[in-house]
Amino acid sequence: METELRNAIRKLLEEKTVDVAIGYGRVGVGGAVGAVFVTSPDEVDQLVWNNECRQNLAVHLTRPEIKALGKIAIVVKACDARAVVVLANESQIKREEIVVVGVVCEGVVKARFDGSNGEQFFEKCASCVEHAPKNVDVLIGDEAKAAELDAKNAPTAATSGNQAKLAKLRAMTSEERFQYWRGEFSRCVRCYACRQSCPLCYCNRCVADKNRPTRIETSASMKGVFAWNLLRAFHLAGRCVSCGSCAAACPAGIELDLLNLTLVNAAKEHFNYVAGEPGVPPLIGTYSLDDEEDFIR
Amino acid sequence: MAKIGVFTCWCGENIARHVDVEAVSEAISKLPGVACSMNYKYMCSEPGQSLISEKIKELGLTGVVVASCSPHMHLKTFRKTVELAGVNPYMVEMANIREQCSWVHSDKAVATAKAIELIGIAVAKVRRNAALQPIKVPVTKRAMVIGAGVAGIQAALDLAAGGVEVILVEREPSVGGKMAGLSETFPTLDCSQCILTPRMVEVGQHPNIKLMTYSEVEKVDGYVGNFKVTVRKKARYVDIAKCTGCGTCWNACPKKNKIPNSFDYNLGNRGAIYIPFPQAVPARPTIDADNCLRLQSMKKGKELCGICMKNCGSQAINFHDQDELVEFDVGAIVVATGYKLYSIGKEQENPNIKGYGEYGYGKYKDVIDSLQFERIISASGPTGGEPKRPSDGMTPKTVVFIQCTGSRDNAKGITYCSKICCMYTAKHTMLFKHKVHDGAAHVFYMDIRSGGKMYDEFVRRAIEQDGALYHRGRVSKIEEIKVDGVKKYRCYGADTLAGEPCVVDADLVVLACAMVPSDGVTKLAQKLSVGYNEYGFLSESHPKLRPVETNAAGVFVCGACQGPKDIPETVAQASAAAGKALIMLSQPYLTREPEIATVDEKLCAACGACVQTCPFKAITIEEIRDRKGNFIKNTSRVNPGLCMGCGTCVSVCPSKSVDLIGFTDDQVYAELESLLA
Ligand SMILES: Cc1cc2nc3c(=O)[nH]c(=O)nc-3n(C[C@H](O)[C@H](O)[C@H](O)COP(=O)(O)OP(=O)(O)OC[C@H]3O[C@@H](n4cnc5c(N)ncnc54)[C@H](O)[C@@H]3O)c2cc1C
Ligand code: SF4
Ligand code: SF4
Ligand code: SF4
Ligand code: SF4
Repeated sequence: METELRNAIRKLLEEKTVDVAIGYGRVGVGGAVGAVFVTSPDEVDQLVWNNECRQNLAVHLTRPEIKALGKIAIVVKACDARAVVVLANESQIKREEIVVVGVVCEGVVKARFDGSNGEQFFEKCASCVEHAPKNVDVLIGDEAKAAELDAKNAPTAATSGNQAKLAKLRAMTSEERFQYWRGEFSRCVRCYACRQSCPLCYCNRCVADKNRPTRIETSASMKGVFAWNLLRAFHLAGRCVSCGSCAAACPAGIELDLLNLTLVNAAKEHFNYVAGEPGVPPLIGTYSLDDEEDFIR
Repeated sequence: MAKIGVFTCWCGENIARHVDVEAVSEAISKLPGVACSMNYKYMCSEPGQSLISEKIKELGLTGVVVASCSPHMHLKTFRKTVELAGVNPYMVEMANIREQCSWVHSDKAVATAKAIELIGIAVAKVRRNAALQPIKVPVTKRAMVIGAGVAGIQAALDLAAGGVEVILVEREPSVGGKMAGLSETFPTLDCSQCILTPRMVEVGQHPNIKLMTYSEVEKVDGYVGNFKVTVRKKARYVDIAKCTGCGTCWNACPKKNKIPNSFDYNLGNRGAIYIPFPQAVPARPTIDADNCLRLQSMKKGKELCGICMKNCGSQAINFHDQDELVEFDVGAIVVATGYKLYSIGKEQENPNIKGYGEYGYGKYKDVIDSLQFERIISASGPTGGEPKRPSDGMTPKTVVFIQCTGSRDNAKGITYCSKICCMYTAKHTMLFKHKVHDGAAHVFYMDIRSGGKMYDEFVRRAIEQDGALYHRGRVSKIEEIKVDGVKKYRCYGADTLAGEPCVVDADLVVLACAMVPSDGVTKLAQKLSVGYNEYGFLSESHPKLRPVETNAAGVFVCGACQGPKDIPETVAQASAAAGKALIMLSQPYLTREPEIATVDEKLCAACGACVQTCPFKAITIEEIRDRKGNFIKNTSRVNPGLCMGCGTCVSVCPSKSVDLIGFTDDQVYAELESLLA
């Protein structure tokens, strides 16, 4: 698969279809997998594909310095592919100007704190039913295998992985749940790693950085961490694609993806809405004369 | 340094009764930036306004707070005052200490404390106000009138007489509305057709009026002075330019007299190709596609009938006609979509309204509504003006009229009075008695509401001269019975004045049903961004002071679409709306309030959240390019002509890159902080 991927990217670069390819390479300390930006066909051997490719590379699509390199190809997993769709829906990228190279993913493993690889797969992977990315231009990997994995996970998708964890939280009383999040948020240092790693947190100036007037408390006090984390969750309602980057990036190990999953589930349950479908209007905030709700017109 | 003047009004006793204005002035004078704090009996009066301008001049005030009534009432007044005194009109804020304070509190101490807080908020805001300039927008000197009942006809004629081009849009094949189907009209009993048809002809011929019949408004874009309206001209299958209205076609149609005519409220029949009534304007036929043999057969790939086409000497019939979308640029829009009668006993569109199953409407053929009765006694109606009942054509001797069917009935869900039923019921009894001299006209009523010039006299005439029998009470049930082999309708009523039940066996029952807005008016209102009440009657901007304006700038209302009313009132309102529209269209340019949204284009992430939510489609995503044309970034941008300043975009913007001028974050937070301080 890795060879197949390298060949595909080489071809794109050779034929000048793209100027830069964003993919995975062993660029971190001790050979940890991170993003590489390949601009010449000779460099494609830097590219790797394995279960350590946990980052969502779509975060780079909106960065001006990457855009400045020219036409982009990007390597995505299925969850990442959805983020690309949301970015296109929200006019952050012109989809037709980007070549999306999807890779069939069989799950990615968590990193240990020292940067080495754990054996443990991400919870999101346990309930994944979309192993082959959708809405891509090139698909690398075995689709039949992907379908097999989808089928295997399907029966337990709603009850395994993060959903299982969330179910535990939902079973608590609201007071217990509040105390749980209080404990989690109390570790937040307002480093904004979650924001930096999320492909959908692309604002030029985050409202958390707004002053005159300050919209939300900026300190890492209890008030500040609640305000920040809830605000971020709400800004991702109907948009979060459950890629898990935020939780993976958080140095305090806060399970941010559970917070977002609550809203992902609500969107599905109440509006039958799944983020990352092409051309679909946003869930929150659309004005339409045909709105089902009368009061809103 | 800010120098704020605060002027607290007593509003006579309205405010002063519950708010200690002296204590308020005293407390407010201590707030930072407040240079003077005074109170006066009527701030809006001449001496009140003079007080403000004197203080502005004397102290060099930079901002003014008037603590009085709602800004809806007098913001404009006070803006003028300060402007005349040389201060930018947007440096005024109002603190509403009447509607939101003195009127809702009875404890003087509480109300006084609240008034101080409310004024404190306004002071905090005005300190951050900026001088603003109104926005100027160009005007298209053309108007559209939607609905061509008597209201729309009058408005169109007045606008046209004022030299403005008018597009008159009517969804039926002919203009005229309900009035074209009425018999004679109260309070003078002149024939409805005789007074209306000349005006119908006039709108058809006026060089300034473009008639668009059998057409509906599809889409409204743009803004005051610059609307772009798309009108759907429905397929009529007759080219009205070629047609001479000779009538060969409708006389030859094999379906002639076989299809219920909605103009006669289904009491008479017409053909598949038809004119709704002989005096129709334009006097050109329309093909009813659902009932036309040819058009129906074409769906199955065949070509049946076509007799009308074969007989038409002008080749005016085209079975391949299609709906057409026509765009018009207009500066002002007058809505005159009128009313319909509420459907008694039938399924209601509005879930909050119930019908009258107990009256048997729809089940008993001789229980009819008031508009049907108008057709039965109208010389142009299906019976040629002979009062004949629908079931068997018998001349009714005893007629029962039931007023307030639906209206003023909380249990049925319509709380309002339809206003005209007392009058037309009196008229009905007279017209009936004039035709059936030995007949009996019984009226069941709740109250007789006949305010108006010559109105009460009219009702008295019905009772005293024509012998109408009025019973104060309601009918609880109607039952079909047979008396000597003749069908009768037993009405179980009550006469509350006599204090006894009152049962009448009627040959015909006429229900004076509540007036409700025309079908589809709420959809239209949404397209126009005009408000409407729970029943769908369109909302005027102010019930007393701006009765024909709406809250959508450049859109006016008149006639029964705004609320139940009779012809004199409808016509007066139509002329008023036309007058207001003419005033607007006569300006070289329009000014608009500058309180609109503005995007910080450097910060905007161009996520499009605001674009999706703006109810006025006022925001678009645009590209920013440098002078050489290189792309820099996307941003959203507000069209100042379209933005209504609702602030929806501000609330959805995740990065708060958009702000509302006059209600900036800075101002709103200052207001909140003043409350928390
Ligand atoms: C039984 C009865 C008797 C009456 N008798 C009298 C009387 O004797 N004297 C008196 O003064 N008043 C009388 N009235 C009241 C009178 O009918 C109304 O005051 C008058 O017709 C109101 O005129 P209008 O133009 O507002 O509405 P309408 O006459 O209803 O006209 C509205 C027009 O708009 C059109 N329209 C509606 N929606 C649209 C749309 N979306 N797009 C385009 N066109 C649209 C309709 O087809 C119609 O042609 C009577 C009413 C009733 C019910
Ligand atoms: S919020 Fe977290 S899980 Fe959701 S899209 Fe952003 S990084 Fe991925
Ligand atoms: S990454 Fe974690 S610690 Fe950092 S701001 Fe986000 S939640 Fe807080
Ligand atoms: S304030 Fe914003 S949402 Fe409202 S009309 Fe203006 S641009 Fe649209
Ligand atoms: S919502 Fe805010 S960030 Fe998004 S496009 Fe509008 S102004 Fe820009």
